[in-house]
Amino acid sequence: MAKTRVLDSTERAVGTRHANGALDLARRLPRLTIEARRIAATAAHGIHGRRQAGQGESFWQFRTFTSGEPASRIDWRRSARDDRHYVREREWEAAHTVWMWIDRSASMGYASTLAQAPKVDRALVLGLALADLLVRGGERVGHLGLTTPLASRSIVDRLAEALAADRLPLDLPPAVTLAPMTEAVLISDCLSPPADIAARINGLSARGARGHVVMVLDPVEETFPFEGQAVLAELEGGETLRVGDAGAFRERVLARLEAHRAALREACAGRGWTFAVHRTDRPVSDALLALAARIADRGDLSARTGTGG
Amino acid sequence: MFEFLPLGFSAPAVLLAAAALPALWLLLRVTPPQPRRIDFPPLRLILDLVPQQQTPARTPWWLLALRLLIAGFVILAMAGPIWNAGKPGAAGAGPLLLIVDDGWAAAGDWTDRVAAAESLIRGAARDGRAVAIAGTGEVAPEIPLGDAGAALDRLRALVPVPHTPDRLAAVLPLQRFLDREKTAEIVWVSDGMTAGGGAGFVAALGRLAAGRPITVLTATAARPLALAGVENSAAGLGTRVLRAEANGRDTGVIRASDRRGLPLGEAPFAFAGSATEARALLTLPVDLRNEIARLDIVGERTAGAVALVDESNRRRRIGLVSGGTADTAQPLLSPTYYVARALGPYADLREPRMGPAEAIRVLLDERVSMLVLADIGTLPADLRQRLATYVDEGGLVLRFAGNRLAAATNDDLVPVRLRRGGRALGGALSWDTPRTLAPFERSSPFFGLTLPKDVGITRQLLAEPDLDLPRKTWAALADGTPIITAERRGQGLVVLVHVTADTTWSNLPLSGLFVDMLRRVVNLAGVSDGQARAASGAPVSVAALRTLDGFGAFRSPPATARPIALTGSLIATQDHPPGFYGSPDAPVAVNTLSGDATLARLDSGPLGARIEPLVRPAPLDLRPWLIAAALFGFALDTLAVLWLSGRLTMRRTRRTAATAAAVVLLAGLGSLQQPSPAGAQTPPAPAAGQRPAMSPKETDAALATRFAYVLSGDTSVDETSRAGLAGLSSFLSVRTALDPAEPAGVDPARDELSVYPLIYWPIVAGRPLPGETAIRRLDDFMKGGGTVIFDTRDAMTSRPGAAPTPETQALRQILAGIAVPQLEPIPRDHVITKAFYLIDTFPGRYTEGQTWIEALPREGPDAERPARAGDGVSPIIITGNDLAAAWATGRRGEPLYPLVPGGPRQRELAFRGGVNIAMYALTGNYKADQVHVPALLERLGQ
Repeated sequence: MAKTRVLDSTERAVGTRHANGALDLARRLPRLTIEARRIAATAAHGIHGRRQAGQGESFWQFRTFTSGEPASRIDWRRSARDDRHYVREREWEAAHTVWMWIDRSASMGYASTLAQAPKVDRALVLGLALADLLVRGGERVGHLGLTTPLASRSIVDRLAEALAADRLPLDLPPAVTLAPMTEAVLISDCLSPPADIAARINGLSARGARGHVVMVLDPVEETFPFEGQAVLAELEGGETLRVGDAGAFRERVLARLEAHRAALREACAGRGWTFAVHRTDRPVSDALLALAARIADRGDLSARTGTGG
Repeated sequence: MFEFLPLGFSAPAVLLAAAALPALWLLLRVTPPQPRRIDFPPLRLILDLVPQQQTPARTPWWLLALRLLIAGFVILAMAGPIWNAGKPGAAGAGPLLLIVDDGWAAAGDWTDRVAAAESLIRGAARDGRAVAIAGTGEVAPEIPLGDAGAALDRLRALVPVPHTPDRLAAVLPLQRFLDREKTAEIVWVSDGMTAGGGAGFVAALGRLAAGRPITVLTATAARPLALAGVENSAAGLGTRVLRAEANGRDTGVIRASDRRGLPLGEAPFAFAGSATEARALLTLPVDLRNEIARLDIVGERTAGAVALVDESNRRRRIGLVSGGTADTAQPLLSPTYYVARALGPYADLREPRMGPAEAIRVLLDERVSMLVLADIGTLPADLRQRLATYVDEGGLVLRFAGNRLAAATNDDLVPVRLRRGGRALGGALSWDTPRTLAPFERSSPFFGLTLPKDVGITRQLLAEPDLDLPRKTWAALADGTPIITAERRGQGLVVLVHVTADTTWSNLPLSGLFVDMLRRVVNLAGVSDGQARAASGAPVSVAALRTLDGFGAFRSPPATARPIALTGSLIATQDHPPGFYGSPDAPVAVNTLSGDATLARLDSGPLGARIEPLVRPAPLDLRPWLIAAALFGFALDTLAVLWLSGRLTMRRTRRTAATAAAVVLLAGLGSLQQPSPAGAQTPPAPAAGQRPAMSPKETDAALATRFAYVLSGDTSVDETSRAGLAGLSSFLSVRTALDPAEPAGVDPARDELSVYPLIYWPIVAGRPLPGETAIRRLDDFMKGGGTVIFDTRDAMTSRPGAAPTPETQALRQILAGIAVPQLEPIPRDHVITKAFYLIDTFPGRYTEGQTWIEALPREGPDAERPARAGDGVSPIIITGNDLAAAWATGRRGEPLYPLVPGGPRQRELAFRGGVNIAMYALTGNYKADQVHVPALLERLGQ
């Protein structure tokens, strides 16, 4: 039977191991994969074309020269073809802001013998590595309620400092509304009632911000591999439940957890957010790759459909 | 308390503690096992779920039952339970009649029988009953009834008899006793075997008992094993092992010992399933086998488990000598063929392939027990003397007539005087039809054999009509002419068959009678005078020498042992205990069981008796078992508590258990599969010595005739060899019917050589010598009929008498490891000079070199022929003329090397020499035989 371990608050605190782990993971992530995705999706992250003329590097269109403009804007090569003067316009390109929120509540400090790492470790490493990846790709990343969006090369250390200084970790992200054209990444075990979580997602996305929810779970929480007589104990509220035969209880527990996950998925889908489950017995790089891919896909999708415009 | 069970307690008071079990029940009920705490973060989501299975507030009933069981075991164990504690009670009030089977079959568990009888007598003594004892082996006319003390004395005086008892003889005394004692109770200690009138005795006893209580004490399964039917075959000394029924003694060992009791060998036997008969075969050398005097079943101490072996079971060694030349190619014409076929199954034949006198000497040195001389004529005087001594000392000489014997003079090794010359019947000069045999006289050892009608004698040797001729005659023709005569000389016997051993004079050797007669003659070899006389019909009795007791041990003959008549059956009875009889030199064996005896279980059901086992099982203390059961229960309880508290994952243990079960099952299957018959197994792995697969090169070489050259490692030499052989090949295909394929370069160390008829080996000085493998393969190639041309290519540089050239030295080193035949320069009449072209030299690039070939025999029948050849092809040809350079041609047919001294004629001759060498290598001595064709045609024309 799987043994479980509960981390106390000092163990849950953000430390250098998370920062180092995140940096290590981000460095390990094959950069070429990211590059390839960016080329394929035009603008996975970094400088995103806004499908309109503006500040940028890429050619957008030629338009006729209107008087009053500086003569230096005239594209002489094009203008030499006929009698009119043309101005070469470039596509407006600007950087994204990604808001991140990493759950560090008591229920995250949990590990079973089936898992590779405690949930909180996994969430922090995943979040920090994603931040590093995004910043290197040219985005700005901030932590909801803790920092402003940053594009610093030492984003991991900056976020880690801010997280470490936060002594009151909450179960749910702060009830703020994000600006349009931003994205949110929530990394949590999502063990709060689904209605609360749905309310926060709705609040965050009230002005059109998109987001991604990553549910970090211990394998024990998904399979409930217990047998025999047991007292189940909760970590935050302190409730207990006595079961005569945990094995016979399993099916109903699993059904309930599945329903919970379905509710979360529903809430995300309703706002156009993505939802994914990461189990701590899987390698963290899997989750990071999948998340990066989803962010890239979303960026492309938003650009193509023009909803962000 | 447990009258119906054979169970007793040494401390029954402890059982009262069982009353405390209900208290334990109450105590155990209220202490359920402790649940386990599991931290589970998503609990908040499932808090409202009510668990289907509630926490057991109390100990589950089965755990309670288990614990009560443990407590019960402990209480029972403390009370000291003993199984089979009870003693059999004796019943009845009248006198007790004990019938004790004391045949050989009772000897195996005799002490058990005596103990059972003794306990019965002691029981009777306690009850003050009178006891009578009757043995079935040695029957007394009157059965005395006495007190228990006297009965015990009589019981101790009983010993098993070594023969099969005649139980029916005991019926009459029993009847008298039972008529006298109306209230007697009968107890029969039975050996459980039918042998000795068992069924009749059961019927008679049932009739006599007439309502009296009868108890039969018998073993649950008849224990005895017995030996019978010793047979000395070609494979070994075989014997039958008997038992009455399956009794768990399925395997055992037969031990053979000689006359002095020294063990000679052992053989295992095994009963198949519930078979009652098995065979054991002692495979020993014949000499050792003939020493065997006694066979025992190891560990079985009864007279029935002993088989005594005498002369009649000896396997005799017979020497065959024929006067004619032994022609192994036509065995049917060999004079000794029929004798050998007739005697082969019964004796070991020795037939030296040498001259008759030598053969007889060898056989006499080998001390054969019988000598068969088929048509031997005059022998040297010293050999005659040796044969006479041999007969005097007990040897048997069986002679067959023939032309040589008919022509011999002064031959005194015949039983009767012979008239010179023979008698022919039914021949061209005779009007008589072939004679048949007359019925055998009573004094003849052949008496009793049936005469086939179709035996006919056409020619025979005639005996002079002496006075004692009828006495010496063993078999005669229908007209009274003796056909087989014999005479005893000293210890031995001379027998003469007046016809040949083959079918030229009669068809007697073709008949089955011949086999029977020879077998009887063989049985006479080495037997004592008395037996021989007995065999000839006179009633002879011999006294006991050493006899067996009931336990199968030798002892002096008892006073009751009487001489046994050799003519009757040699089976032990009360008067003739088993053992050796007769003279110490050639004793006669009398065995307990006849050769075809079988054993069977006696069914004592018709008696209607109470059947009780002979041996009661010993009391068994149940305490350790109960304590072990309690400990096992404790272990189960611990596991159950662990499981109840969730500290033991059922799923994992289940999986482990399944894995373990699978492993055990597989192992079982594997062990079952192991002794499967060889036919079901996969084909055996290739043996270490098996040839490797053929390479494509070898396949090509085998599909088309081609010449090979040895790769010297020097490219220019190799290229010359290749071009030379290619040139020779194209020359051959133009001029002859031979069309060789492209020559192949071979490395003797690696390539298979046997696919090439001819190998050209240019010697290059300074190259490393071929290795051990290469030399061995080359030797094999040469021995297998291949020809190797060694070309030292040094005819320019070598001078006769000068120091050998480097190439010659290299060649000598190569040939040092090969068996090279004697060599000679090719003589003018060698077949190689005539194999295709008529040539006398073998020039190559040079002409001075000498060509050597295997020397031909100078003498012999074909020494004067115009062409001579040995039996095969010369394995080696050595030249120094650099043949390949002369044969070497370019792609357009142009010669590659100039010749010394030169000229087209020399090149033509070089090619012709090559053609001759190739033809010689391929056809051998064919041309030498062709030389005779004109002479043969000339003869045919006449």
